[in-house]
Amino acid sequence: MQTNNPTKIAIQLKQINKSYQKGSNNVVVHDNFNLSIAEGEFVALMGPSGLGKSTLLHLIGGLDLPTSGSVIIGEQRIDTLSEIKLSTWRAENIGFVFQLHHLLPVLTAQGNVELPLLLTPLDNKQRKQHASLALRLVGMEARANHLPKELSGGQEQRVAIARAIVSDPKIILCDEPTGNLDRKTADEILTLLAALNKDYGKTIVMVTHDLRASEYASRVINLEQHIEEGKQSQLSVVEVNS
Amino acid sequence: MNIFQLVWRNSFRKKTRFSLTCLSVMIAFFLFSILAGINHALTSNVSSNNQYRLLTSHKISLARSLPLNYQQKISAIAGVDSVSYASWFGGFFKDETNQLAVLAVDHKSYFEMFDEYSMPKWQLEQWKNTRTGLVVGQAIANKYGWKVGDKVPLSSSIWMNREGGFTWQFTVSAIYQNAASASEEKQIFFQHAYFDKSRAYARNMVSWLTPKVAEQADIDKVSQQIDKLFANSTGATRTTTEQVFIKERVQQFVDMAMVIKLVVIAVFFTLLLIVCNTMMQSNRERLNESAMMKALGFSSRFLITQVYLESFFMLALGALFGCISAKLCLAYVSHLFADFLPSMAIDNAHYLNVISLVFLAATLCSFLPALSLKRLTISHTLGAKA
Repeated sequence: MQTNNPTKIAIQLKQINKSYQKGSNNVVVHDNFNLSIAEGEFVALMGPSGLGKSTLLHLIGGLDLPTSGSVIIGEQRIDTLSEIKLSTWRAENIGFVFQLHHLLPVLTAQGNVELPLLLTPLDNKQRKQHASLALRLVGMEARANHLPKELSGGQEQRVAIARAIVSDPKIILCDEPTGNLDRKTADEILTLLAALNKDYGKTIVMVTHDLRASEYASRVINLEQHIEEGKQSQLSVVEVNS
Repeated sequence: MNIFQLVWRNSFRKKTRFSLTCLSVMIAFFLFSILAGINHALTSNVSSNNQYRLLTSHKISLARSLPLNYQQKISAIAGVDSVSYASWFGGFFKDETNQLAVLAVDHKSYFEMFDEYSMPKWQLEQWKNTRTGLVVGQAIANKYGWKVGDKVPLSSSIWMNREGGFTWQFTVSAIYQNAASASEEKQIFFQHAYFDKSRAYARNMVSWLTPKVAEQADIDKVSQQIDKLFANSTGATRTTTEQVFIKERVQQFVDMAMVIKLVVIAVFFTLLLIVCNTMMQSNRERLNESAMMKALGFSSRFLITQVYLESFFMLALGALFGCISAKLCLAYVSHLFADFLPSMAIDNAHYLNVISLVFLAATLCSFLPALSLKRLTISHTLGAKA
């Protein structure tokens, strides 16, 4: 597995506290959590369920806000941005791939990939060209006019990856991208993500339970829960291989 | 791909639901438009100048007559331009099933005042010079094949002539057209002077008078002055505008304005519930997709606009078909109600009302989905599934 040489910090989480209210209980998910990821890294976030891996991913992507602490992506602190600015920032900087791809069933593969480009100043023709290119990169060009229901799970996930990269974001966040796929298809998807990291320099953060997935990452971060006396939970970062 | 294509495709996502909701919207606007057509018939101006025409009848009932000399008395009131009069003959041709709207009118003034009836000048002069002359509407002339010069016997169920019979002999002197309303071409007129001299009773009495006020005059004030003039007499009067008179005649049977309001309120309340429910259901089904779109960078405003446009599209489509079908329906049935409700049609003001209602309903129907989209938290919605 090839590792990119980290040169510049792409993602920085500083003293992150995240808790939420569940009934009358205050559930602490992250307590004074710190993490740095360099540009061009392919990071796999692993660990048992319930430790807040997805929450971390959502914080990095600006889908959720920390209770306290700061989330800095590149040189931009995003946890203080307004909803509108955060939306614009996400559209320009982040690509998402989820376990359930959430493709719009009424749009073709081409239409789904074009969707994020509606937020750019590109005209219709340029949008189509960009979408076709992204579909070609993920090997789905031949299926451009197919609706999601006409695609297999692996093909749907490829389209979701094309949608994530079509606006050329610096960072791709993947939440269990292979969770619903068979081994062979999962390997194809992971190979594709690794290629995006290696060939196009995308910084990828992937939450996964799949041990094989970690083989494709340049760094694996294992989140372990350390229960300390007097605290509900505390998380620390153990870097396995970097 | 743009927001309109997205709205189009989302609208037809559940074709059956969309079609049924559209159908209910269509029915609502169909009813609304039909009732507006009836309302138009009750309130529309038959001619351009009839807003200045009043109708003075007996205060107690239209069946009671008024003295003919009221014409001079009303003419003397300031603001009154001219006064004509008419009496209801209540005729039929040959058989009582062939009922006709026959009026005895003042031959000197009536057609000067009611200038919406057009006929050749020589025919009008011929009628004025023929005591037993008839002015017949084109529709009636066509129906019975009458021509100018034909001798026509008309019978009355009310008026006996001096010979003791109920059948009166007439000659067709003129045939008129009504450019404003073909349905108005079903009336027949003859000289009141002939009627007055030939009837066996109630001479020098008229069913009603039609004062025409000067354009600069205050219509309400003139109406009050007329009624005040005859107050406390046996022939006390009630003066209204011609429009109000027609409206009141219909309201003797049913208060249409109230019925229209109640039906419109009921229909639109139901419509709001249906469309609102459809939009909320549609929104609920797509929460994950909406959250994903937010994750991709689409703002709440974009998603709310999308929902609004979907509501608007559904309502506008239903309203369009509702209005078209109502227009076709009114065009088909209007001639059946021509005597009772002339000029039953949808006017342009109604279309403006429809457009306003569509905008308003779209806003109301997308309010709750908009609220839900605004409150939608991406991590919670996607996290719950992922």
